[in-house]
Amino acid sequence: MIMGESQENLNQSETNVFNPKIAAFLCNWCSYAGADLAGVGRIQYPPTIRTIRVPCSGRINPLYILKAMANGADGVLVSGCHPGDCHYISGNYVARRKFALIQSLLKHVGLEEGRVNFSWVSAAEGGRFAEVVKGTTERVAALGPNNGVFKVADRRATDE
Amino acid sequence: MKISKEKFGQSFDALAADYQMIAPVNDSGAVNFKAAKSFSDVKLDYLNSKLPPKSLLFPQHETLLSYKKEGKDVIVKNELNVGKTIFFGIRPCDAKSMLLLDKVFKNDMFTDPYYYERRNNTTIIGVACNKIAPNCFCSSLGLSPASSEGSDIFLVDLGDSYQIEAVTEKGKDLLAKIQGLEELSSADQAVVDTVKSAKTASEVDVAVITSKLDSMFNHSYWDSLGEKCLGCNACTFSCPTCHCFDISEEYRKNEGSRVRTWDSCMAPLFTLHGSGHNPRNNQNARWRQRLMHKFNYFVHNNGDMACVGCGRCIKSCPVNLDIRQAIDGVNKAELVVE
Amino acid sequence: MSNIIDDIRETARQLLADGKVDVVIGYEKGSLPLKATPCFVRSPQDITKLIWDETCENNLAAYVKKTPGKKAIIAKGCDSRALVVLLQENQLVREDLYIIGVSCQGVIDKKKVEAVTGEIISASITDGKISAQGMNGDKEFTFDELKDATCQTCRYPNPIIEDIHIGGTVDAAQQAVAFEDVIEMENKSIQERQVYFREQMSKCIRCYACRNACPMCYCQECFVDSNAPKWLTGGVDPAENLMFQAGRALHLAGRCVDCGACSRACPQNVDIRALGRKLAKDCLEMYQHESGINVDVKPALNEYSTEDPEAFLVKE
Repeated sequence: MIMGESQENLNQSETNVFNPKIAAFLCNWCSYAGADLAGVGRIQYPPTIRTIRVPCSGRINPLYILKAMANGADGVLVSGCHPGDCHYISGNYVARRKFALIQSLLKHVGLEEGRVNFSWVSAAEGGRFAEVVKGTTERVAALGPNNGVFKVADRRATDE
Repeated sequence: MKISKEKFGQSFDALAADYQMIAPVNDSGAVNFKAAKSFSDVKLDYLNSKLPPKSLLFPQHETLLSYKKEGKDVIVKNELNVGKTIFFGIRPCDAKSMLLLDKVFKNDMFTDPYYYERRNNTTIIGVACNKIAPNCFCSSLGLSPASSEGSDIFLVDLGDSYQIEAVTEKGKDLLAKIQGLEELSSADQAVVDTVKSAKTASEVDVAVITSKLDSMFNHSYWDSLGEKCLGCNACTFSCPTCHCFDISEEYRKNEGSRVRTWDSCMAPLFTLHGSGHNPRNNQNARWRQRLMHKFNYFVHNNGDMACVGCGRCIKSCPVNLDIRQAIDGVNKAELVVE
Repeated sequence: MSNIIDDIRETARQLLADGKVDVVIGYEKGSLPLKATPCFVRSPQDITKLIWDETCENNLAAYVKKTPGKKAIIAKGCDSRALVVLLQENQLVREDLYIIGVSCQGVIDKKKVEAVTGEIISASITDGKISAQGMNGDKEFTFDELKDATCQTCRYPNPIIEDIHIGGTVDAAQQAVAFEDVIEMENKSIQERQVYFREQMSKCIRCYACRNACPMCYCQECFVDSNAPKWLTGGVDPAENLMFQAGRALHLAGRCVDCGACSRACPQNVDIRALGRKLAKDCLEMYQHESGINVDVKPALNEYSTEDPEAFLVKE
């Protein structure tokens, strides 16, 4: 809560610059630890992501991504362990098929390329995590605020 | 009285300055009641709209109020901006359906402000059906393809002109604003008489259904009805008289809104309890509820059947479950004498 | 066609008379012209109700799971593919199911008739010609003119699994380019696709006829009905409708047998298949998987290969 409020204030102070809000679904064992390493290593990256820790990239339901867009996230980042490194052996292999189809369908129905981003980041790749967030932020910022196909009109979305 | 379509169109366009005009228009390949800016947008050769006009008075999803927490206060907003509206081209079945909805939403005991505001600001210009679709069965329900019940002004299409008459006081006031009325010739009167004497080809017998349903709650007939029903909401959402709704809170952070959404007795969720128990736990019971509500409960509560014979549920059903056959089934069902 | 129906009735009569099944799920004549309706026959006397023609459009596999007891089902190619997926997912007891397989020429899309004749008053089918009397006029059609869009691209008109086969077999229609409809949509600009899907979704009234007609949609609680988490409001905003349709399509990815039941069930003519077809094409191209053609394999998303393509990843 405190984090959220301080970031809102940050946004208000820089009214001319578009700071996208990106929902980042990070797997507990690799990408979340990668983000942690980036923090410990004091590697700078844009403060645009709101991290949601999930046990495994295989846990990610396509609806998480759709709902984030519906609730007004400007972008989505999904990241898990590299294939072969899954803590649960095959979670990210199964997720990989799912992600490929999600990306393909979203593009098909007219979602801009770059709004939804998928990546593999290991626990040792703090620097790369920063790069991924930077790249994702640049892509989403270039697209502008989410007024896309899944954004529900104001006051209509719920976060129950 | 009569009015040429050209003159009527001019009045329509003139009225559009003061009223929101709702009329049958082309809507992605179908005809539906939507806002029309000019008479030239109106589709005149339509049987009836694909979806009933009830959503104009009772929207499928409506914010009743919204609220926001500011500091220690909660600010509640209730925005209902309703302007004067004219519904043009409402068919007799749908005009009657609005009278039935009135009984639910504005009666001696309850008045629903959202419905009431819209209804009070609406004047209905009904148009008789010159063509009768094969699934129409309004004649069986005390209506006819040319009954003016429920309309404020009623029109009969005479080709390049309309016979026009005011039905209610509201209609008289509006009729005074329509320019270019002429006397009806005897040839026109003959056309009007033909249209008014028409009946629907399809008929069902509802003479005894209400009293028969009184003793049919536990009848085995219902077992045969739900089997092929898929349990979708196509019939209830396309029904001009179905009016069940759900109220829910939609909120995020410190703000939210209370919304009313159409609900359907055909769906299991309609009766699902918080505990997980569902007292109406199969499709047979749901079909019983639908027929009972339309032909029994509604009659006891409001003195009329909640069906106007528009035939939309028959057309929209993916498995061709026909309410006319369901009614026939009730008529044929043998009552067990206790 | 006439001897096919005789054989179907005789098979059904035999099954019921021998007590091998409690119910035969088939089609009977509907109340509307050019419309058949599902029918549940429980006694040998009633078998004459059964019909078989180009109007038998519902996918009866949708009933198999919810109909209790031992049942026989009349299955076209697509119905049998749906049964295959249900069997792959352990939703059916094979021993309780008797599949009466019938090869299918395709079914009629009534909307194509109505576009010409207006509301249909009466219609008849003789020797592959369909003559319809409508409110705006009469017309005689050939079957090919009226064939449903799904059937035009059907690759499996013959049942994949069956306990008895009735009638001859049908050759799958030769298509110059597979998934031509999907490719055409892919080649459109992003704006065109946005406009197209927005228009389609604005028609949706969320009656869930598509979901309920789908043999693969058997979730105890659909995500649209879930209260916690509440994925969707009851709103009929095009964005929410797209979330419903896309969420459903993704749940059917690698499982959808492209029977077209959803599109035919839709009272609002929403192009629901456009989503499912895209995913079917992707599954075939990326995973060489077609759903419902082999009981012994798993659906595409239940499996993986270490070599699966990764073109969807960010470039960093």
